[in-house]
Amino acid sequence: MKKHVMGIDFGSTTAKAVIVDMRGRIIAWSVSHMGAVSDAAVHEAVADVLTQANLKQEDMGRCVSTGYGRRMLDIADKNFTEITCHARGAVAMVPEARLVIDIGGQDSKTIAVDTNGLVAQFAMNDRCAAGTGKFLEVLARAMEIELEEMGDIAMKAQEELKISSMCATFAETEVISLRAEGHSKENVLGAVHQSIATRTLGLVNRVGKKGPAVMTGGVARNKAAVHYIEKVLGIPLILPETPQIAGALGAALIGLDDYKAELAESGQTIEEDCEVDAQMAFDKACVTGCKGDPVEAEKNAPAVTGKLKSMMSNLQKYF
Amino acid sequence: MNAPVTLPKPPGAANKLKSTRMAGKLVNDYWEMVWRAKEEGKLVCWYEGSSINPFLEAADIVWVHGEAYSAMLAARHQEGPAQAAAEERGYLRELCSYARTHLGCAVNNQRHRNGSDSAFADVPADEDISAKLPPPDMIISAYAYCSTGQQWDEMTSRLFGKKIPIFNVSIPWIWASGKDAGYCRGQEWEETSRYVARQLEEMVKFIEEQTGKPYPWDRLRELMGNVKKASELRLEAMDMCRAKPAPATLFDWSVSIAPINQLPCTTDIVDYFTNVRNEVAERVRTGEAAVPKEKYRLFFDGIMNWNKLGWLAEKFARYDAAVVAGRYTHMAFWQEPDLIDPNNPVMGMGQNYLICPNNHSSPILIDLIMGLCEKYEVDGIVFHATRTCRAFTNPMFMIAQEATSRLGIQTTMFEGDVADETFYKDELLNTRVEAMLEAIDQKRLSAF
Amino acid sequence: MGYARAWKARTGRRVIGSFPMNFPSEMAHAAGALPLIIQEAEDPITAGHGLLFPFYCGFTRSAVDQAAKGDLAVLDAIMFGDHCVQLLGAADAVRVALPDTRVIFFQLISSMCDPWTLGRSKESFEKLRFELEDFIGEPVRDDAMRASIALFNRGRQAMRELYRMRVEGRVALTAREMQYVVKSSMVMDRAEHLELVEALVASASENLPQPEKRAVRLHLSGHFCQAPKPELLDMIEGCGAIVVGDDLYHGYRYISTDVGEEGNPMDSLARWYLDRNTGVPCPTRVQNDVDWDAFLLDAMRKESAEGMIVLMAKFCEPHMYYYPEVKEAFEKAGMPHLLIETEHESMALEHMRTRVESFLELIKRRRGVARANTPEGEVA
Repeated sequence: MKKHVMGIDFGSTTAKAVIVDMRGRIIAWSVSHMGAVSDAAVHEAVADVLTQANLKQEDMGRCVSTGYGRRMLDIADKNFTEITCHARGAVAMVPEARLVIDIGGQDSKTIAVDTNGLVAQFAMNDRCAAGTGKFLEVLARAMEIELEEMGDIAMKAQEELKISSMCATFAETEVISLRAEGHSKENVLGAVHQSIATRTLGLVNRVGKKGPAVMTGGVARNKAAVHYIEKVLGIPLILPETPQIAGALGAALIGLDDYKAELAESGQTIEEDCEVDAQMAFDKACVTGCKGDPVEAEKNAPAVTGKLKSMMSNLQKYF
Repeated sequence: MNAPVTLPKPPGAANKLKSTRMAGKLVNDYWEMVWRAKEEGKLVCWYEGSSINPFLEAADIVWVHGEAYSAMLAARHQEGPAQAAAEERGYLRELCSYARTHLGCAVNNQRHRNGSDSAFADVPADEDISAKLPPPDMIISAYAYCSTGQQWDEMTSRLFGKKIPIFNVSIPWIWASGKDAGYCRGQEWEETSRYVARQLEEMVKFIEEQTGKPYPWDRLRELMGNVKKASELRLEAMDMCRAKPAPATLFDWSVSIAPINQLPCTTDIVDYFTNVRNEVAERVRTGEAAVPKEKYRLFFDGIMNWNKLGWLAEKFARYDAAVVAGRYTHMAFWQEPDLIDPNNPVMGMGQNYLICPNNHSSPILIDLIMGLCEKYEVDGIVFHATRTCRAFTNPMFMIAQEATSRLGIQTTMFEGDVADETFYKDELLNTRVEAMLEAIDQKRLSAF
Repeated sequence: MGYARAWKARTGRRVIGSFPMNFPSEMAHAAGALPLIIQEAEDPITAGHGLLFPFYCGFTRSAVDQAAKGDLAVLDAIMFGDHCVQLLGAADAVRVALPDTRVIFFQLISSMCDPWTLGRSKESFEKLRFELEDFIGEPVRDDAMRASIALFNRGRQAMRELYRMRVEGRVALTAREMQYVVKSSMVMDRAEHLELVEALVASASENLPQPEKRAVRLHLSGHFCQAPKPELLDMIEGCGAIVVGDDLYHGYRYISTDVGEEGNPMDSLARWYLDRNTGVPCPTRVQNDVDWDAFLLDAMRKESAEGMIVLMAKFCEPHMYYYPEVKEAFEKAGMPHLLIETEHESMALEHMRTRVESFLELIKRRRGVARANTPEGEVA
């Protein structure tokens, strides 16, 4: 019996890997930075975490992936979205959490978690840079500051300025005008973080504001962002020690659940209509209903489907 | 707005009418009356769109015009809490911001009464006037053209658990396809007027049911007598802005909307407009201009941006541009007082609802606007493309097209919104208006 | 439009276009024309943006764009009676863009439970008929109307039968395929379409396939004027779901209610207009005594659906208004739902896939919990 499970978060700007033992305790974790979605960084993270744990890939009872690139990993047995995994990981780190706020490089999401630790509702902002780490990055460049310094500088704001635009592009214009008018970096950055907080509140409202609230994702390391969001929410934010691995941890724990279930019903073969295996294959399936054997899937397609399809193509030509 | 730190604040360029300051006081008094309504045991009616307030005032019902409340909040930069409450409930930002703001007030109101774990359940600060709005005892929907208005009222009713009686007056859009169709004439106009008038009479019966008393028609006639006079004075004063330089601008007329549209229809409003008319007449006599160095005369098409009223007034004045007229101010608010027969006002009132600035389809609408542009001898049209008010933006491109082809005048558009300041884009306005003014200059030069 | 052009060439008769949602195509049909409901085209908006701003729903912008580009040239006239402010703006713009095409409009009352609603509706239909007759130069006879109504009713019934079969698992039709069935009825000769649909129903009854049982059963709601993009429907089902019911315009809304076949057809149409909203409430109307949110929860029960995906066309105000009520009702009832805002322009399907997958994962985990909590539950 294998004694470890791996979770991999194949994100848009970083790759994270976590190994847990059969009790769900973290044995090792690793974060690897990269440009856009890339294989190399994932392999680096995986290799690093295996080295730390002094294990090999074959020692993993299960490997679950999440993140943008989750479907691209051959070593993964299953994949789940970052929402499901983030929620799971955050609740593992902070068991009493009912709300998870994750602001990453490219997107932000809020997840309401029920008393079972399951996702009750979620909301995402993944098309607009405003309110995400990207926004801060762009502004750091515009103001010629290091991204890591932004939080500290913003905390020194004395005057409450306002950036009213919801759109990141126009907000950038506003920032530049404010600086041109002579407002200090500190005050302007304060307004920027206030703007992020306002965006975040909107996203929180969509899932319902219920504490305790946990914040994860790269932007959680920005003191000012945390401060302004707390202020605007009116409830404190719990910051886990290693927020960036919430997704990978969640993936590992979900993998652990399934592995344990499989072990409990050990001895099953793939041909039998086994709930867990079928569910697994089903979850990973690119084609609905495929149990992992394309030839089988084709054979079992009912005859009438063919007839229906030719009827449909008759109508289809009108479009 | 954020005050500039290094540049000194220049003196105000816009020479606003002084008589309009009275509007501020009258409006405050009116809202105080509204806020006291429950204490005084009055019935409260919520409505938007058409000015049915005289009907309500006559029956001693306190009237709350949703848009007016939202505009007031926006003008005072206090729309934040209401809009946030609306967003929390799930109303998306692309929705009419008037409605969103007003619904947010309703949401706040419900929360404070029922208690909840939301962010807004604490006792509101005194500054949070969105929470002071008294809940309705009845809702009357009488909205011309914009389907949004009717839906807004329906959703308000649902927000209050459908426990509030609601009455709908359907006001059709004048499509004007018949050969005899035109502004205030034709078979379609006649039939539609009668249809609206009949519904208004049903509405009066509804009011009687709510108050439990016979409807005081005499009082309505009296109030409409005042409205008619006030309207005539207002139109007279606006007409005088044909003078060059113009004695008053769109911004003066915008702050004068409340007196004609929502204040109690007592002789106060007649006095107000008498003063305004007199001040305008005096300015014409002495040649005093609303914009000291008037170089350009502009028409403003679109609804007002209430978050930015003062800001825009200053901006145009600094460009030496007098915004002499606009669709929102000149083609609305009892603008055909002659239609009102003070002894039998219902038909005339209904017809004034039908001529709301958007309720005629574009051929008629465009004719009216071109007429105004010619009357006031404008050099250009500025269009306020309001993100969430599509009723106003619907015909804008067609109007712009006509203005260029028929009158040969310049046009430009800027983006903003009625009550949500996050949609306002200052950069765009600056660039485009400047470009338009430059084009006007060019044209003038080449005319020699 | 290709079909319409071919039909016109073949028959030499007129094609009368209309906007959604409530124009009675039966009337145009009785006048001997091909009734055609204008559809959202796939083209990105170009000319249309010279008539309407970008913050309008995809349908209105597309309609105006098509008009401006000459794509609606096959239409001899356009008729409609609806009132949504964006539609009114689009119609106005279309009239300007197509000065040689007759645009016939008479506004249907949108307040559905007033004492004068029925009467006014009848008047509206009479006015529309009057103008139609003026346009074609001859009367539209009552018996022709009744015949058209009967034909359309049969078409609706056949399509409703398909819906029944789908929800009962007696036919495997994807959401895209179902859309084609309904959408094609909006643009085709009804008699031709009826034949095809009846054949479909018959052939499906011969063989009973087993649709994937583990797929999550979903109800799709929204899109009151334009058809959701087929790629979106494919993506949703591709994540492991099966659409078992909907209240889309290009779906159940269009076929839900039949028109009375006896008596004065104008009365029947007016009756149909009211009944349709009571049957499948639309947020574009106001009707205080009928609740769309209650209807949806009821539909979920009838369809044994496990979740609802709300497809909201961006900028659709009627939907934005009512959505919070639906959201609240579903949350109170503990019924999962997901909101997807769709756009005319290309959508980031990959991002949407993440949301849909998360939603399905959420539902499946609930199934797991439910199983674990029942006496016969397996080990979760």
